[in-house]
Amino acid sequence: VNVLIIVFTEMRDKLRKWREDNHRNSEQIVDVGEELINEHASKLGDDIWIIYEQVMIAALDCSRDDLAWTCLQELKKQFPGSQRVKRLAGMRLEALEKYEDASKQYDSILQDDPTNTAARKRKISILKAQGKSAEAIRELNEYLEQFVGDQEAWHELSELYINEHDYGKAAFCLEELMMTNPHNHLYCEQYAEVKYTQGGLENLELSRKYFAQALKLNNGNMRALFGLYMSASHIAASPKVNATVKKANVKYAAWATNQINRAYQVTKTNQLPVEELLLRSS
Amino acid sequence: MAEPELLLDSNIRLWVVLPIVFITFLVGVIRHYVSILLQSDKKLTLEQVSDSQILIRSRILRENGKYIPKQSFLMRKFYFNNQEDGFFKNTKRKVVPPSPMTDPSMLTDMMKGNVTNVLPMILIGGWINWTFSGFVTTKVPFPLTLRFKPMLQQGIELLSLDASWVSSASWYFLNVFGLRSMYSLILGQDNGADQSRIMQEQMSGAAMAMPADTNKAFKAEWEALELTDHQWALENIEEELMSRELDLDGMFSKELPTGIF
Repeated sequence: VNVLIIVFTEMRDKLRKWREDNHRNSEQIVDVGEELINEHASKLGDDIWIIYEQVMIAALDCSRDDLAWTCLQELKKQFPGSQRVKRLAGMRLEALEKYEDASKQYDSILQDDPTNTAARKRKISILKAQGKSAEAIRELNEYLEQFVGDQEAWHELSELYINEHDYGKAAFCLEELMMTNPHNHLYCEQYAEVKYTQGGLENLELSRKYFAQALKLNNGNMRALFGLYMSASHIAASPKVNATVKKANVKYAAWATNQINRAYQVTKTNQLPVEELLLRSS
Repeated sequence: MAEPELLLDSNIRLWVVLPIVFITFLVGVIRHYVSILLQSDKKLTLEQVSDSQILIRSRILRENGKYIPKQSFLMRKFYFNNQEDGFFKNTKRKVVPPSPMTDPSMLTDMMKGNVTNVLPMILIGGWINWTFSGFVTTKVPFPLTLRFKPMLQQGIELLSLDASWVSSASWYFLNVFGLRSMYSLILGQDNGADQSRIMQEQMSGAAMAMPADTNKAFKAEWEALELTDHQWALENIEEELMSRELDLDGMFSKELPTGIF
């Protein structure tokens, strides 16, 4: 019996860790959560409600509508009239592709509480799911005019712009993210990649600088290292640069090559197959 | 003045000191839960939320603007501060200073605050004074002047008694303030039984009335942003980066955690 109790606490703690870290490992959450709900509901106490929410969202990801429905019913019984539960009901409708109904659900939330950001963002994701990216972009822009601080939204917008090949605007969004998270090397790296894609001497220089910044923030960012090499060699190869700039960039590219070789030196001695190498290099 | 060693009846300790501590504590806990029940939801308008986020964005621009290229920084500064149509220059919010008389919700909030906090204190203080009167409860460990006698020795008409000996009413008030840290331990930080914090808040209430000052906040941000210059942090990034070898310890050398249960 003691072993079962230990397993139960482990499961509950794993779920909490995934919840706090915002992991999207939905299959695992569904496995663990389903067992927790079915076998150990009484032991969970008040935790059970937030676990219901977590498991429901994971179940929607895995197309487990039965499980999602059960969770939703329990939550509705416990919290009638709650906007958080209404949003979950809307998400379920979205998963079933009943976009009209989902949209109406979110509208009713917004009628009660116009500041509810979750409902507005779900409406935008409906547009995205329906493939209406131009409308989604427009709605997201309006949303961001009101809620300038929503970083998740800025990131989503940058992704949408990249899909539309509007790199200038994507760069703007990433700049917002870089300002609010100056120590996040991934935003610097993404920004550098967007600048590199935009092309043109000035943008290449910027991209080289931001790849370097990403590397400075995280020495292990291989993608940034490769990016640094490519942007530097691109600038060096361009006919429009003068001799000093060319020399400097050749030096940068050489340094980058050096570091790349150093990084892969370890694996040479380990003699790993190429596939593993490629899998690990990101 | 000579220190007469008054030996208090140990019954006093059992039946006065401890009960007063318990009473104060329990009343505090009850106050906390009552304040939770009576708490009215403060609904923020969309405009208030939006404005506060905009102010945060402007502040971030000032602080971290050095991480984005100069052109981008100038573009944003222009958006905010431009003479003709900059955001801070142009946006005027309708400001209604929330004075207690005109704003009904503030009035009820104040009343509720008073009812839950001040009223019980007065009532119970008076009751304790009436019940536990006529004797000395405890002695404060530091000497006090005679001025304190009428305040701390309510009901004891002894001219020669040292002012350090206090009555039960003063022991009660001592408890009210002293148990504050106990409340934080037991009820968590933001508890409704914390009276001195509430009194502090009432005093600094004027300084915290942010919503009323949106226009002033905008003006302050405008000035601050005007003064900010762009010092690009990435000016010499390549030299800084390449001055030493990359720290590649642990790359490719171990299994990456895959999150399997």
